[in-house]
Amino acid sequence: MKKKLLSVLLCAAMATTMVVGCGAKEEEAPAASAPAAGETKEEAADAAKAGDVNGDGKIIVGYISKNIVDPFHAPINDYAEETFEAMKAEGKIDDWTGVLDGETDPNKQIDRATDCISKNCDYVIILPAEAAASDTAVTQMNDAGIKVIVVNSKTTSTDDVALGYVGPDDVEAGRMLANWVIENNPEGGKYIHCQGVIGNSAQIQRGEGMAEVMASHPEFEMVGESACEWQADKAANAASDAISKYGDELVAVICDNDDMSSAAQKTCNDAGRSDITCVGVDGNQNPLQMVKDGEMGATVLQDGPGQVGGAVTMIEACLAGETPEKEIMVPFVLVTKDNVDQYLK
Amino acid sequence: MAKNGEKVLGIEKDKFRAFMGKYGISVILFFMMIIIGIVEPAFRSANNMINVATQVSINAMIAFGVCLALTTEGIDLSVGAQLALVSCILGHTIVNLGWGIPAAIIVALAVSTAWGVLNGYMIAKFDMFPFVVTLSTQLIIRGLAQVISGGKAIPITNDAFKKIYSMKIGPLPFPILVLILVTVVMYILLHWTKLGRYIFAVGDNVNAAIASGVSVMQTKLAVYALSGFLAGVAGIIFTAKTGSAQSNIGVGYETDAIAACVLGGTSFSGGIATIPGVVIGIFIIGFIYNGMNMIGIDSYYQSMTKGAVIILAILFDKIMNKK
Amino acid sequence: MAETKNKKGEYVLECHGISKAFGGTQALKDVDLFVRPGEVHALLGENGAGKSTLMKCIIGLHKQDEGTIEFEGKPYSVKGPVEALKAGISMIHQELNPEPHLSIAETIFLKRENTKGGIFLDKKAQNERAEAILKQFGFPHSAKTLMQDLTLAQMQMVEIIKAVSCDSRLIIMDEPTSSLDSEETEHLFRTIRELKAKGVAIIYISHRMEEIFEICDHVSIFRDGTYVGERSMEGVTRDELISMMVGRKVENVFPKTDCEIGDVVFKVEGLTGKGFENISFEVRKGEILGISGLVGSGRSETMRAIFGMDPIKSGKMYLDGKEITIKKPSQAIKAGICMVNEDRKSFGLALHRSIRENMALATLPTAQKGLLLDKKKEETNCVEMGKLLSLKAASIEHEALSLSGGNQQKVVIAKWLLANPKVLILDEPTRGVDVGAKSEIHNLMCEFAAKGMAVIMISSELPEVMGMSDRILVYHEGKINGEVQRSEILNGNENQETILERAFGGK
Repeated sequence: MKKKLLSVLLCAAMATTMVVGCGAKEEEAPAASAPAAGETKEEAADAAKAGDVNGDGKIIVGYISKNIVDPFHAPINDYAEETFEAMKAEGKIDDWTGVLDGETDPNKQIDRATDCISKNCDYVIILPAEAAASDTAVTQMNDAGIKVIVVNSKTTSTDDVALGYVGPDDVEAGRMLANWVIENNPEGGKYIHCQGVIGNSAQIQRGEGMAEVMASHPEFEMVGESACEWQADKAANAASDAISKYGDELVAVICDNDDMSSAAQKTCNDAGRSDITCVGVDGNQNPLQMVKDGEMGATVLQDGPGQVGGAVTMIEACLAGETPEKEIMVPFVLVTKDNVDQYLK
Repeated sequence: MAKNGEKVLGIEKDKFRAFMGKYGISVILFFMMIIIGIVEPAFRSANNMINVATQVSINAMIAFGVCLALTTEGIDLSVGAQLALVSCILGHTIVNLGWGIPAAIIVALAVSTAWGVLNGYMIAKFDMFPFVVTLSTQLIIRGLAQVISGGKAIPITNDAFKKIYSMKIGPLPFPILVLILVTVVMYILLHWTKLGRYIFAVGDNVNAAIASGVSVMQTKLAVYALSGFLAGVAGIIFTAKTGSAQSNIGVGYETDAIAACVLGGTSFSGGIATIPGVVIGIFIIGFIYNGMNMIGIDSYYQSMTKGAVIILAILFDKIMNKK
Repeated sequence: MAETKNKKGEYVLECHGISKAFGGTQALKDVDLFVRPGEVHALLGENGAGKSTLMKCIIGLHKQDEGTIEFEGKPYSVKGPVEALKAGISMIHQELNPEPHLSIAETIFLKRENTKGGIFLDKKAQNERAEAILKQFGFPHSAKTLMQDLTLAQMQMVEIIKAVSCDSRLIIMDEPTSSLDSEETEHLFRTIRELKAKGVAIIYISHRMEEIFEICDHVSIFRDGTYVGERSMEGVTRDELISMMVGRKVENVFPKTDCEIGDVVFKVEGLTGKGFENISFEVRKGEILGISGLVGSGRSETMRAIFGMDPIKSGKMYLDGKEITIKKPSQAIKAGICMVNEDRKSFGLALHRSIRENMALATLPTAQKGLLLDKKKEETNCVEMGKLLSLKAASIEHEALSLSGGNQQKVVIAKWLLANPKVLILDEPTRGVDVGAKSEIHNLMCEFAAKGMAVIMISSELPEVMGMSDRILVYHEGKINGEVQRSEILNGNENQETILERAFGGK
């Protein structure tokens, strides 16, 4: 009885607040009545829309970015912002968290995950910073009953607990890198590999794909693997070191991302070695511009916004009461001078 | 007569100053919480409060250590790297060597404390600038972490270890209990023990401290050892939280810690600090992060907002203290 | 005086009805001051009487709330020391803080450098000009010498030379002799007389009565922010001045009481270190041992070494007949030897910490309950000490910074009394302390001796050493050059001149 009285009082308080004019305070009701358990649940269920995961009558989507400073992630975050604002305007969802900054730090991502739990999110899209370390964010939200969609790279338990995964086929990307190099240097030669942060799934899988293709091409010899941590300047240093060490024998620099490959290419061009094939993955604006200007042969475009788009279709499926696909692979595109205009904004 | 009047007024003024000096920053925290709470009701839930307290526990450990260093007119920039080293030691010993959790934790804390002692020794013995010493050891410590981990992430699947972060005792997660315990110990240490007094004396006037029989060497060794130890504790919580040992974690973590100290009234020129102040500083930083996310402030503006809030809070505190 | 006030032209500086308040504190209340050209005009008053505030109004560091200032017959108002300097008024501060890496020439011409075409420094011309000015004053260093290589007295002289080279007609000197020894003081006085002869007026702030009688022509007395009056130095007595200053009569200038002198407590033999060699002396229970000599003659150096602040090269120390070694202050404190340092701000106090923390600092190891501090006992101790030393503070929780010089000194003394010392070394215990507090400190020294403590006091003020000591050791260039008994002073065999002679290496 007491609890009922309490909920009535709370409802009255809420109504008063609304009458007074603080219309934006609607959220107060779910937050306040949630602890009142049993009695209120039925009412909530009546109001529940399809796909309302936590049954509080509101659909809130969380979006935890990997970071907000990396040129690859900027268009992804922009796409998420546009999409969710539009969905909110159309009334498909009630609210979203805005782009939460993961700061490429698993610790911060876990903190953002708890923030999403506090905000009573129903769905959260997360772009993990690390495969193992960011996994806590995913499991934590899953334990809190949130449907988590992992985007871009998998965390350890993504397959077990997440609603779904949307990502690129990084092994395929690695193959594309190697094939482009082989195509451009039929005679073979020496090449170096600039890696991303070691242990990151993109780094591992792209390396795998590359190694797989190169294994059947003995005319190519890998003479160095440097851990460049996705950083352009480190790749540029690795390239200039390799040029001075191997001279004309160096034919290619394969990079795990194209921030690195564009920097490496620029270094080679500056050293008068524009013949060296530098190639990487992502399709950031700067490398695309270089492709357009003929300074670089090609880059492998990862459709980041397309991945978030995949995640959104999963959420939309849930909202429509359907069961979404478990895993969506978004294909890579080899961008050369011929098709660059399509992707360059 | 005139003198009498001044005196009475003097006391009143001093009392007000003392009050604002002690509680001014808590007033800021209070208003911050009210404002965020009005804009975003979900912020007010007990769950969210527990979340924030859990989130700040890592920064809190680091901030306490940095606070001690600042109070002796020093600084400890090696704390972020200590986090990484502790993480890698835990990963290596538990996963690769199969050690038990207590042994791994003891070794990790011993190593981080030892680095703290080394920092303190170099600073006190050779009178080197703490900034330079810890800036350099930070590189060595992170390098060691990279060597131990081979630059790779070591996933720690051991559930018992991860429990250190997720375990709850009553409604409170374990990191909050650690936070409470460390806060109490630090409060007693700084305000109720000989060492605390020595830390203040050394920071305020090192010559006067020496002339009063205080051993600067012992004091600084203790301060940096504690800072190292606390960074180690932070590293354990961090590693349990992420379930992964990595050498690239904790970069730039000293910034938030220093900000928390400064918000809490810790003086950069040494000799002035209070533990309650630092705790409030820690929570202000925590609420800035959490509050902005709860309200939904665009991430692109969060960094600016954070900087502005810190400066305004300090400015407000200064003005309140002056008048 | 009223009839002379209105005669224009008689005074170089006239201050009329100056008032200044800081917050609720009225620092100056309707204060006048009249200075004649070519005179040395003393300002006398206890610390906090308003002398410094008035001077700061004159050089533009403060703006008075009410009242007017006229300089050379014209209304005068400046926004800061630089403007004051241009107008013809300069001030030599008590605590000199020159830029240590500047040369003498650069210091003299700071902010009015010789330039070529208005941009580039013309160092050569500047050095030559400085050299010429230095020569006038018979200054023994080249203009290129760095400030850090000068003694305090020489730095002060550079400041005076700077003032004169700026064509100042009024120079304010705030306690100019507080860190000078007798010889240097004499030199300063010669310079002051020369300046006087040139028609420069000097405002001379000092606590040292002897100096005021020696060098000054008129004296203005301040008390609690008010102007008590002006006297000509001719015909005025010391007692009269003191009673004007404190508003009461200070009966006995040096309250030395004879107390029973017991066994030898502390003895040193052949002590040698930096600045002193082969020092041997002993001090007994209940004895006040005075140490005299010029600044830099090794007095403070010896005591610092005994207290463990500086290393000892050779020699032995005995406490209660047993040999002791002291390598750091903590050992000295443990043994029962405590030292009040001459530089209170650098070595005495943690200024931003409370009075309580400062008092308790040296005795924390003995003031613990288990691992924690016994704060109750600490508070009782500190309050008791405050009463014993009649410390003027609103609360022991206040910052040491908020206290006046004399009260700060009392906090330092309290710190050592809590340590219950057998030997208490006081290095210039009354420097920068006003008259009232000074005699209180003297009284305390007698009380300590009466309780059986051995007191060693270093002082640059001869009357103080002579008035307070049972026995005086005179230092000359790192060695003890003679010992004087109180009886010899009382029977007139020894006097200021004979002690000074020893200090200069005579006898």
